[in-house]
Amino acid sequence: MGNLIDIRPVLKINNLKKSFGDNHVLKGFTMALNKGENLVIMGKSGSGKSVMIKCLVGLMLPDSGEIEIMGNDITKLKQQKLDNLRTELGFLFQGSALYDSMTVRENLEFPLRTHKEKYADSEKLVLEALENVGLADAIDLMPAELSGGMKRRIALARAIILHPKIIIYDEPTTGLDPITAKEILQLMREIQQKQGASSLIITHDIDCSRVISNRMILLIDGINYAEGTFKELSSSKDKKIQAFFK
Amino acid sequence: MKKSNTQKINLGLFVIISTLILVSALYFIGNRQNLFGKTFRIHVVFNNVIGLQLGNNVRYSGINVGTVKKITMINDTTICVDMLIEDKILKHLKKNAVATIGSDGLVGSMIINITPNKGTSKQLIDGDTISSYSRISTDDMLTTLNNTNENAAILTADLLKITTAINRGEGTLGLLINDTEMASDFKQTILHLKTASSGASKTIDELNKIIASIKYDKSVAAVLLSDSIYADKMKSVITNLEKSSIEIDTVLTNINEVVLGIQKGKGSLNYMINDTILIKDIDDIVKNIKEGSIRLNEDLEALKHNIFFRGYFKKLEKQKKERKK
Amino acid sequence: MKKSLHISDKIKSFLIEIGELSFFANRFFKEAFVKPFEFKELLRQCYYMGNRSLLLVGVTGFILGLVFTLQSRPTLIEFGAESWMPSMVSISIIREIGPVVIALICAGRIGSGIGAELGSMRVTEQIDAMEVSGTNPFKYLVVTRIMAATLMLPLLIIFGDTIALFGSAVVEYLKGEVSFQLYFNKVFNALEFSDLIPAIIKSVFFGFAIGLVGCFKGYNCKKGTVGVGEASNSAVVYTSMLLFIIDFIAVFISDIFFEI
Repeated sequence: MGNLIDIRPVLKINNLKKSFGDNHVLKGFTMALNKGENLVIMGKSGSGKSVMIKCLVGLMLPDSGEIEIMGNDITKLKQQKLDNLRTELGFLFQGSALYDSMTVRENLEFPLRTHKEKYADSEKLVLEALENVGLADAIDLMPAELSGGMKRRIALARAIILHPKIIIYDEPTTGLDPITAKEILQLMREIQQKQGASSLIITHDIDCSRVISNRMILLIDGINYAEGTFKELSSSKDKKIQAFFK
Repeated sequence: MKKSNTQKINLGLFVIISTLILVSALYFIGNRQNLFGKTFRIHVVFNNVIGLQLGNNVRYSGINVGTVKKITMINDTTICVDMLIEDKILKHLKKNAVATIGSDGLVGSMIINITPNKGTSKQLIDGDTISSYSRISTDDMLTTLNNTNENAAILTADLLKITTAINRGEGTLGLLINDTEMASDFKQTILHLKTASSGASKTIDELNKIIASIKYDKSVAAVLLSDSIYADKMKSVITNLEKSSIEIDTVLTNINEVVLGIQKGKGSLNYMINDTILIKDIDDIVKNIKEGSIRLNEDLEALKHNIFFRGYFKKLEKQKKERKK
Repeated sequence: MKKSLHISDKIKSFLIEIGELSFFANRFFKEAFVKPFEFKELLRQCYYMGNRSLLLVGVTGFILGLVFTLQSRPTLIEFGAESWMPSMVSISIIREIGPVVIALICAGRIGSGIGAELGSMRVTEQIDAMEVSGTNPFKYLVVTRIMAATLMLPLLIIFGDTIALFGSAVVEYLKGEVSFQLYFNKVFNALEFSDLIPAIIKSVFFGFAIGLVGCFKGYNCKKGTVGVGEASNSAVVYTSMLLFIIDFIAVFISDIFFEI
């Protein structure tokens, strides 16, 4: 599979720095996501993973550094263009982040609403996305009526409804039992194959990274500490790297 | 989708109802201040508006018909008040109507009362000025009341002084006790009065009887017309009546004199005060006189109206007129 | 020394809070009148704030009028002025008590609701999700809520005032044998524009304050469930305080403008 990967990166982060007061979270993080690749970024809690992806999608402004998504530096983009660019990004949030006050259908329609002219047939897109995650029956339920695993799948459906080129997963298996977690990982792979998107997966779950990763980056002390395949990293002698694989 | 539609309907209902309430409240308040509807403007000039404010009500014969629109000071003693009056009341307002400023209840706000005046007058037109009447304000009323009170206080104080003096038998009044001549004179006068009044009573009784017989027996009345003797008798009765009334007159003059005497401090007052029987007598007499005179009046009135005596009274009047001439 | 430092810190954080609130309000005005408008969400919020508060406001208003009339009756009767009851009750309810009490209740209901809802949305990253979906969450969540509160509160207050007057009329009808027609006739005789209009303008600001503080607290909620509770709680506390400040200013201003 590795040799099929297009080398041209769709996402590039260069020397990203972000600090909160005296707490320097990111101290010059650099990485690149290649097309069609499943890149896993691992790090301890509080290592700055979440900050990094928030900067990545423009939820947070970095102190310095460049973030380039498909050739656009998002730190310099205007809101309108940023919104357009965001349709190319799918984002699966840690806690699913489904809108509690809306039904599943409305949740899925939400990303479509700002680009109505682009997605005229929203009904079809919603059903397609739900079928992809195998929850077509849940279309009129409220998020509160769903189990954790179902919520995660609906959230996944919402993330992929626009057929994004890049999907960012923030802790996709956190808070789920191992079986459900496996199901989610399975779904992620299916979707990746179906839609040909590149995936950036943030996790601290070692099983997750083993199953899904083509390549891994270890985020330690706010920098890109180590980079390589799961095999390469797991056999590393570095103590800090070893700590992840215990 | 259905749910959100009913939500929209409910929201719309709520918004419309609340807005309607607001609009109607504004309308009612505005209506009271005559902001809407046809109005006309009239003026009235006062010396003092006693705290009248813009927006105060104007009443015509007790009905709210308008509001005060403008109060302007023309000079130090004249204030012009402009009022907006409802158009429909215009035809009832005459040019001679009078405006006064009053208060709506003891503690209420001030109002202008317009009252219609007697007599005919032209209908008011827009921009007319009506006359005003400065009614006594509550303040003035209280001042007057205060003066009266003070006067009453002074009077009672004087009266108290006098009565104490009498009680002690001091002054000229005390001297009167020994004045027996005056007292006997007074007694005699009273006696005369008594007889006179009883005489008057008698005459009146007789007259009553006659009149009763006239009233109850038509045939006797018929006889009266032709019977000259009876007519003569009647004449004499009336002469008697006149006599007795003259007698009463003289008695009254006497009493007047006595009273004058008392007023001048000639005496006998103390005597009278101590003689309870006498006082009772006087009381009785006065009562008699009163009764007698009332009856007399009644009878005379009855006589006047009686067709049989009409001629006689007319004659009397004629004679009076002739005498005057 | 330590204590004074503590106080100065508190003052500092208070000032920061006010500054942030001002920026928040500024952002609201910047974004409220720029396309796109979230009209559907505005309607939904209006429904939730308006219609869903009707029962609460109605019951409170009714009891308010009832109790107020019952309590002031003996005093007025003592002065022999019970015929002034409708004027007194209507003026005090419409000018002051109605708006303030209903606004306080709405601060409890709407303000804490917004605080908790936005707070939990912030904590569970729903607001982030919205932003990533290409929808401006400030516009979608904050602007609509503040607008809805600003629009709905005057209407709720009119509604509550009416019910309160009705409650007062019921007491007068039962105890004072005053007919409803006479009661409302007296009410409208007593009321002036200067009673009604400042109260309505005031209630617009009340609504704005409730929406603004609720959204501010919720939108800037700290992480965790504790943060949500704090957001909704402080939304109510700050709103209530702000309501009285606004009321004070409003009375001051209306006193200047409507003085004869």
